[in-house]
Amino acid sequence: MYDDLEIRCPKLGGEVTFSYCQSEEGDSPCPRIIACWQPHIPVESYLKRVLTAAQWDRCFNQKPKDKVTTLIELIEEAKKRVKPA
Amino acid sequence: MEQVKVFLDEREIPTQWYNVLADVPTPMSPPLHPGTGQPVGPDDLAPVFPMNLIEQEVSTERWIDIPEEVLEKYLLWRPTPLYRARNFEKLLDAPVKIYYKNEGVSPPGSHKPNTAVAQAYYNKVFGVKRLSTETGAGQWGSALSMACKMFGLECRVFMVKVSYEQKPFRGLMMNVWGANCIPSPSDKTEAGRRILAEHPDSPGSLGIAISEAIEDAVSDKDARYSLGSVLNHVLLHQTINGLETQKQLEKIGVYPDVVMGCTGGGSNFAGLCLPFVRDKIHGKEISIVAAEPTSCPTMTRGPFAYDFGDTAQTTPLLAMHTLGHDFVPAPIHAGGLRYHGMAPIVSHLVKEQIIEARAYNQIQTFEAGIKWAHTEGFISAPETNHAIAAVVQEAERAKEEGKEKVILFNWSGHGLVDLAAYDAYLSGKLTQYEMPEEEISRALKSIEGFPKP
Ligand SMILES: Cc1ncc(COP(=O)(O)O)c(C=O)c1O
Repeated sequence: MYDDLEIRCPKLGGEVTFSYCQSEEGDSPCPRIIACWQPHIPVESYLKRVLTAAQWDRCFNQKPKDKVTTLIELIEEAKKRVKPA
Repeated sequence: MEQVKVFLDEREIPTQWYNVLADVPTPMSPPLHPGTGQPVGPDDLAPVFPMNLIEQEVSTERWIDIPEEVLEKYLLWRPTPLYRARNFEKLLDAPVKIYYKNEGVSPPGSHKPNTAVAQAYYNKVFGVKRLSTETGAGQWGSALSMACKMFGLECRVFMVKVSYEQKPFRGLMMNVWGANCIPSPSDKTEAGRRILAEHPDSPGSLGIAISEAIEDAVSDKDARYSLGSVLNHVLLHQTINGLETQKQLEKIGVYPDVVMGCTGGGSNFAGLCLPFVRDKIHGKEISIVAAEPTSCPTMTRGPFAYDFGDTAQTTPLLAMHTLGHDFVPAPIHAGGLRYHGMAPIVSHLVKEQIIEARAYNQIQTFEAGIKWAHTEGFISAPETNHAIAAVVQEAERAKEEGKEKVILFNWSGHGLVDLAAYDAYLSGKLTQYEMPEEEISRALKSIEGFPKP
């Protein structure tokens, strides 16, 4: 019901719709969705209704990583994709 | 009439970059490999960066020579002018002198080419033929496109599709500089093809774009990946800015009480501030302030704490500024413009209390940016507006305290390709947002009971 509302995305530096924020991670929402949208709409309670526990967990219960660690993981994932095992 | 701009002669351009790793009073903890838990070694990064840049990444040499070929390109827009913001000072009516370094005069309009040109050069020397990168709004992608053209490298920029469609101008700039700007997800990589097969209309994300750019580099032996912020060598290349500024201030016999910059990944802030950090380490009294958004208050409201470096909680604990894993964006977002964790050097300096961080909400930042445009004329990038908001607050403090202060800040870029953001502000579409305290406390529960660094 909120899908077409627009907000400026602090990561992309442009306007995006609520539906973008809900699917930014493919099947799950952008982890910043609550921080960005709560002042406008009751997004937390809305997401609790529409997300499964696993989706919620994947989105909001991630551990932080430093940049180099993330890069190395991405390099390893990319190598696997390029040369499937 | 009093002087408004301080110029350096081209012959006065600094010929070395400054590496703060030679002076940090306590060593920084090394990043650990997610698989082995061992410190990350050069080989781990070799698939995506040339070895000469990896060497710079880990170097502790205090001064690193800027190659002639890089200096020659820098001269197209450097040395950049140092300005006194007299009209803004008048408006603020506070006992402050405000100086700003205008990094918006580079061809793509920001500080980014300081490292883009250096990175293109080192890749060229290493024998690389093509660079790939990701970009959100396009600032970084356009700086790298220009730099690659200057050194005869091909450049492929994966731009998040939703931004590519909404902001055609940055993509066009990249094309003018001869780069291939590709809306991501694309069919150029396996990562992109997989997404497109499932979601043909996917609007993309920074996470997808960085995966595509890295895969693109990994799968072509002549290609490498390039990153515009966060890493040590990027911050190193930006120090040309602070070193120039020190020479300019010396010319007019001024030394700042406060140095400020906005922080996304930390590179423009570090570029201006690290040479002043060196002075501070060696006894100068100076405050150095990083301005971040209240919507992601990593340094201001997240403690410097130990937290696990991976989801499975198998790696050793890492000391970092964190809002706890309940808040922090998913790891893949670390490739974005708003990295939750900040450059390791900047985080370390906050922890050591050599610099401090303050947060500003977006309404405050646009109000400051509009005041700036009304007085100084230049329209700032929305990121840069955070630094201006910090200056406004510092001037107000000086007024309250009745103290005279010299404030220096980095004007990191112009906002001429960001006018849609001003449109959103002027038409009342932006709101003020502060993370509620309960949300922070809830998020921090996840690291309760962990050892304290
Ligand atoms: C004009 C401008 N300033 C600041 C930033 C923030 O990045 P960093 O902290 O790496 O300088 C950006 C990022 O795109 C930018 O375009």
